Amino acid sequence: MQASRARLFKEYKEVQREKVADPDIQLVCDDSNIFKWTALIKGPSETPYEGGIFQLAFAVPEQYPLQPPQVRFLTKIFHPNVHFKTGEICLDILKNAWSPAWTLQSVCRAIIALMAHPEPDSPLNCDSGNLLRSGDIRGYQSMARMYARLAAMPKKG
Amino acid sequence: MEDYFSSADEYCYHDYYDDDDDDRDASYGLQEIETEVPLPCTKGPSCEVITKESLLAAQREDLRRIMDLLSLKEHLARTLLIHYRWDVDKVIVVLVEKGKDKLYAEAGVTVSEHDNLSSELPSMVMCIICIEEVSATEVTTMDCGHCFCNNCWTEHFIVKINEGQSRRIRCMEFNCYAICDEAKIRSLVSARDPNLSEKFDRFLLESYIEDNKRVKWCPSVPHCGNAIRIKDDEFCEVECACGLQFCFNCLSEAHSPCSCLMWELWSKKCQDESETVNWITVHTKPCPNCNKLVHKDGGCNLVCCVCGQAFCWLCGGPTGKEHTWTSISGHSCGQYKEDQGKKTERAKMDLLRYIHYHNLFKAHTDSFKREAELKETIQEKISHLEERQSSKDFSWVTNGLDRLFRSRRVLSYSYPFAYYMFGDDSVKLEMTKEEKEIKQNLFEEQQQQLHANVEKLSLFMGEPFDRYPEDEVEELRMKIINLSVITDRLCRKLYECIENDLLDSIQLVRHRIAPYMSRGLEKASELSICWETEA
Repeated sequence: MQASRARLFKEYKEVQREKVADPDIQLVCDDSNIFKWTALIKGPSETPYEGGIFQLAFAVPEQYPLQPPQVRFLTKIFHPNVHFKTGEICLDILKNAWSPAWTLQSVCRAIIALMAHPEPDSPLNCDSGNLLRSGDIRGYQSMARMYARLAAMPKKG
Repeated sequence: MEDYFSSADEYCYHDYYDDDDDDRDASYGLQEIETEVPLPCTKGPSCEVITKESLLAAQREDLRRIMDLLSLKEHLARTLLIHYRWDVDKVIVVLVEKGKDKLYAEAGVTVSEHDNLSSELPSMVMCIICIEEVSATEVTTMDCGHCFCNNCWTEHFIVKINEGQSRRIRCMEFNCYAICDEAKIRSLVSARDPNLSEKFDRFLLESYIEDNKRVKWCPSVPHCGNAIRIKDDEFCEVECACGLQFCFNCLSEAHSPCSCLMWELWSKKCQDESETVNWITVHTKPCPNCNKLVHKDGGCNLVCCVCGQAFCWLCGGPTGKEHTWTSISGHSCGQYKEDQGKKTERAKMDLLRYIHYHNLFKAHTDSFKREAELKETIQEKISHLEERQSSKDFSWVTNGLDRLFRSRRVLSYSYPFAYYMFGDDSVKLEMTKEEKEIKQNLFEEQQQQLHANVEKLSLFMGEPFDRYPEDEVEELRMKIINLSVITDRLCRKLYECIENDLLDSIQLVRHRIAPYMSRGLEKASELSICWETEA
């Protein structure tokens, strides 16, 4: 158990140092619990999520980094691989392809990559997956854009 | 009927002591008469018992073959065999068809090329798992070349062993599929927790049973600790050293001439649906590769079993890694086909059919139980008779009783077979109506004959022959011997009829039926160890 704590502490220090280096990711550790983290990530450019800020919640298991953290979107997002209601994410590296070499920071990067490259063949959000699979790129983009506007962008005025 | 009797007489008198049979059968007086249809030549035992003691030996036998063939270290040979489910022939086929490199890559075997690397490491090494600088003496490099600190490795192994993944503990590096060296795992884990290291060894050992197509645990409860290894055909019925008889393929009670699928459906139908069963059917699906029940705890419908097989959660069919929802080769999930209209009126008829067959099945299994009690009284009768006429041989009584048990068993399981063969849709046997009628008549004719003779045999077996005068005993003896021959022949004919006339070759693939064993199920023999013990 000590190992996971030590490792998270190392990551915490790393994050403080890298804060400026990666402007797309802002990782914050819960004040009272080092096993709870939140992250704010920027929607990647040239995607419907561009301009949005998405919040992720991390629940880190005691066996970390030997077991993957549980990550979900707190911000509503319309994406084939994210559950529309719970924010659960279907991403191989968070399941069986996890390697202890990953960090919370690199998981965030992987999620940003997933936002830019949805996998419609293993959908958690079937409506979104169906739009993409049927080739209705515009339909998918406008839905995703709409939800990003509604949920991930600060209201102006 | 007449010619059965006459031919039986002939066998009785001419071939009674035919001696080209195995020695172990010499005690069975009737055996020679009964095997008038030549059995498939017995080439040694077709099934063997593996006990706790002989498990290591059994495993080593296969390991040795691979180690010799490919000149591999033991742990690599084991990894290879675990991946190919202990099928040595499969390994050889892959080796010949795809070459050594592909064979190793698929199983995650890396032949060590990095052994010298550790000596070239700088004095301090950065472990990217705990993000610490560690002295070079505190790190371990696996065969794949990835190096992490001993502490992180140990933690990784402990987590994996506790997850039940002992047989394929992978390297910690992302996208590295190499399987870790079991000797290194053992030494690191035992330094921390010797009990866990033992557990790890046991898992590796038991892999020989659990990942092996030809070996299965005896399903006895409480477990006898034995496993059974078969020679070739998994569709057979065996008897473990503990006395339990079971179907090797589906591990339930011996149920031929019912096929495994039919039997599974039947026993589910007969059983009260407990909450556990309900939960299992709602929440799990069997893996199409290893048949373990898989519970989906999140994620998409492309699920992956612990054995590595990916499958589609919706239809349960196996998929490749490149599974897509639009194209899944070989299956079409989500396409609704059933014709709803006739369903309700048929349900009632189905129920009546089921009750009919179930009553018959139940009646015969009940008779079987009652006849089992006969065994003791028969023994008494034999001892009475022996007092009177000490010189005679009474094996005909016990043989007749054994024959009665075997035939009764066949008869009772023929009812669930008929239930699925001639009606229930859950088995999907495609036949025209006329075809079905002809087949049903044919089968029922045979079933009736068997039924009549089994009942007759049962009646004779119950007679108080210990109080009969000698000539009547002799008469009864002849009747029982003849009836034994007849029922044996009828049982065999019933199996042949199913295999040749009822099921066509395509249906036989789904409904493989264990062959008829005239002498009762084969007892698994002790494992013969044919390798030399290591020094």
